Amino acid sequence: MDKLATRLREDAADIDAQVSAELDSRIRASLSNISPERLETAPRPSRPFSMWWASSLTGAAVALVVIALLNLDRTGPVTEPVAVNAMQQLVNPDLDLNVEAAMLTSPLAEELANLQADLRKAEKAVREDVEIDF
Amino acid sequence: MSDELNLINAAKGGSVEAFTELVHGYRERLLRFLMTRCASHADAEDALQDTFINAYRYIATYNPQWRFSTWLYRIAIRNAARLRPANIAELGELRDEQSDPLTHCIAQSERDNLWRSAKRLLSDEVFAAMWLRYVEDMSIKDIAAVLERSSSWTKVNLLRGRRALEAELNNEAHKTGSEAYG
Repeated sequence: MDKLATRLREDAADIDAQVSAELDSRIRASLSNISPERLETAPRPSRPFSMWWASSLTGAAVALVVIALLNLDRTGPVTEPVAVNAMQQLVNPDLDLNVEAAMLTSPLAEELANLQADLRKAEKAVREDVEIDF
Repeated sequence: MSDELNLINAAKGGSVEAFTELVHGYRERLLRFLMTRCASHADAEDALQDTFINAYRYIATYNPQWRFSTWLYRIAIRNAARLRPANIAELGELRDEQSDPLTHCIAQSERDNLWRSAKRLLSDEVFAAMWLRYVEDMSIKDIAAVLERSSSWTKVNLLRGRRALEAELNNEAHKTGSEAYG
């Protein structure tokens, strides 16, 4: 045993830890008032072998019924899946922008002229504001 | 079948006498260990009492593949942790050294008790690992089971704890040497 281990063992022995008579009687009194809890060890009653057969057959019957129902329900025409070009989707993805169409009240040329006029007015207002501030 | 196993089986059957005999040899050992972990001597005694109560109550869950001491220490550590205030780390700085149960229970000696240094230098878990290794002679596997840690963690932290205490021992030797020559 090395020096450290010896020293640790000796120093632990130097710690006085006497269990007093009072503590001993306290522990005994506590223990006498309780009883160990028991584990549930009783095995579950085993089911008869015929139960396994019955449950297996029931399961198989239910599976068959479900398969039949799914096949009967297919009334619509079978459509071939559309081949989608993956690259095309990457280059031009179908975006759902969810935008509202502009409500144009005049012919397009006239609308353009109006919009350009609005733009010029806005530009003029900004210039005036800038000149006032500086 | 060993005597201990006979006593365990009798205790499982509800024999208080068998259980009392079973734990008789562990009382001082456990109390000594609990005094290193609890804030006061009274807390250590309470933790010891709770440990025996819980061990007796749940002895049906004891698995004989582990040493009985491993199982008992595991319960003791949990009980000690339950009795410790949540802010023990903060209190540790403020607490008067005289309230430390170890201060009262360590025999007066010329040299300082290394377990007090260990308490100062090591974390609670590493302290416990060192104690279980060097005082209780537990295997790495048992220590890991008591502390609910992996074997790797236990090995690494035992090594760290060892290094810290070896350094402390060297410091002590150096100081003693200086005083002798000074």
